[in-house]
Amino acid sequence: MDFLANAVMGFQIALQPMNVFFCLVGVLIGTLVGVLPGLGPVAAISLLLPSTFHVSPVSAIIMLAGIYYGAMYGGSTTSILVNIPGEAASVVTCLDGYQMARKGRAGPALGISAFGSFIAGTLSIVGLMFLAPPLAEMALQFGPPEYFSLMLLGLIILTFLAGGSMPKALMMAAFGLFLGLIGMDIMTATPRFTFGIYFLSDGVGLVPVVMGLFGISEVLLNVETRLKQDVFETRIKGLLPNLQDWKDSAWPILRGSVIGFFLGILPGGGAVISSFVSYAVEKKISPHPEKFGTGVIQGVAGPESANNSATGGAFIPLLTLGIPANAVMAMLLGALIIYGMQPGPMLIRQHPDLFWGTVASMYVGNVLLLVLNLPLIGLWVKILKIPYPVLFPLILLFCLIGVYSLNNNAGEIGLMLFFGGVGYLMKKFSYEAAPLVLALVLGPMMENALRQSLIMSDGGAGIFFTRPISLVIVLISLSLLILPLLPWVSKKREVVKDMAEEE
Amino acid sequence: MTMKNNDQRSSLFWLVAGLAIAFYSVKYGLGALSSPGPGFVPFLSGLAIATLALVVFLQQLPRASKEKLSDLWVQKDWPKVLVVMGALVLYAVVFKTLGFLLSTFLLIFFLLRAIEPLSWKKVFLGAICTALGSYVVFQVWLAAQLPEGILGF
Repeated sequence: MDFLANAVMGFQIALQPMNVFFCLVGVLIGTLVGVLPGLGPVAAISLLLPSTFHVSPVSAIIMLAGIYYGAMYGGSTTSILVNIPGEAASVVTCLDGYQMARKGRAGPALGISAFGSFIAGTLSIVGLMFLAPPLAEMALQFGPPEYFSLMLLGLIILTFLAGGSMPKALMMAAFGLFLGLIGMDIMTATPRFTFGIYFLSDGVGLVPVVMGLFGISEVLLNVETRLKQDVFETRIKGLLPNLQDWKDSAWPILRGSVIGFFLGILPGGGAVISSFVSYAVEKKISPHPEKFGTGVIQGVAGPESANNSATGGAFIPLLTLGIPANAVMAMLLGALIIYGMQPGPMLIRQHPDLFWGTVASMYVGNVLLLVLNLPLIGLWVKILKIPYPVLFPLILLFCLIGVYSLNNNAGEIGLMLFFGGVGYLMKKFSYEAAPLVLALVLGPMMENALRQSLIMSDGGAGIFFTRPISLVIVLISLSLLILPLLPWVSKKREVVKDMAEEE
Repeated sequence: MTMKNNDQRSSLFWLVAGLAIAFYSVKYGLGALSSPGPGFVPFLSGLAIATLALVVFLQQLPRASKEKLSDLWVQKDWPKVLVVMGALVLYAVVFKTLGFLLSTFLLIFFLLRAIEPLSWKKVFLGAICTALGSYVVFQVWLAAQLPEGILGF
């Protein structure tokens, strides 16, 4: 059977000592940045991207992927022990995780997040293995109109799910789209909106924007509020959840895995949203919803499983369509292009070693994380005790070096600082940064697809409505735009928004 | 119109920004629908920004309150933000001439002392260790090409 042969090949690649080493480095760095508040996988990947240029693409992607799912493991530790999310996807884990720690149950909370993450991570890799190849085959039939509609849908889903004001989120998507168009026009070689700044003709780089919006601005916000970090001073004993814990968590873990995987596939879905949805679902179906927030293990097991499962799902649009589902995937997309591969439906066929090797390495990585993480929790706790005034100059320095070393261009440092300021103001005025980043990546692709479609149809916008696949996608997009106007849906969105703001 | 909330203030900014983008895009050539020019999609994005900004502004009309701009900075130590930003901008400016080691030492030295002051000894040691440590990791080990500057090595 083809599938089996491919899987075996994948493991042969993933288990090569060199690749196991890179996987290990990836998951360790991932856990570290997950543990540290204010430093996320996107920043870590952009920092390490230049250093991967001299290893093989497969090893590089294995390591970069490891950073991503490793961060999801690490984020929970900070949420549970410090009540500060180490990672945006671990925000909801604070609610019950920290309460469990206060009740002296930090051990089981950490333990169940690790086991839940492992189970969910493994399940989602299985899903990725089975779903991605047939989806890629289907995607081969997509032309420019389908691609355009699909990317538009991705942006709309993200703004729909993001919570908060939808017009504001859409505005950020449009702004990101514009930023993505800055630079040389591919069809006519006209430099656009470069204002005579030379390096802008290559376009606005993703790394400076992301590190500015997520790295620098985060530090600025923390500096002005003076973060208090009280690591929970208690002996962490008994990491293993007991039988009752397992009974309580088994279903939340499974439900979280399914929710995470499918929300992860959606462009713009991702880990953050799936953890919120999982928490909401668990609370809704629990016989004792009032106990949520006081330290129930379901409130930890569900979301932590969901955010890990989402990482597997997020690879699907990247590997089958070449469309990144979130900022991390956008970084990986950039990496693939630098390594000379064209992400898209042909990727699995042309580079089976890359696809199957990476997928198999994710099994290896999840095992490594489970084996390593529980014993290493003591170390992470020590790192968490580094006071913020000492930590933040280091975070800033990492951002500076990371942005500079990508192209050895001091102008990009300026660009990052500019977006650091923009991101700070966006947070102040509550504008979402995620749609901006996704649109920035999709911008050039969307422009191409739109222009090609219009050329194909000789100027008729009807092309998006007459081709069946495109029509379906457009209809879904439209309904997502209209839905929030209906009263009962808008009420639901408010609730999710409030939950997000409580933190 | 004297009563505005902060969503309206920010949406006015985006309204102007969107119109400016759309306006400049025309210069690059919109082309025809059957062969869109380089300014076509930027024009659409600018128009979208402006339209959405208008929607936000109108949505907020019934909710206009006496919310002040300064409400966003209540109980915040905002001068520190400016200090950090200033230090970073300065770093970007002198980075090439002074070189990585020296400018990094100065940046860390300043940040450790200016925001939540540590003792001089800790500040000094911290800055030296950070500059040398990051140099070893990034320049020697990861082979990033950081500028040498006036120290010249």
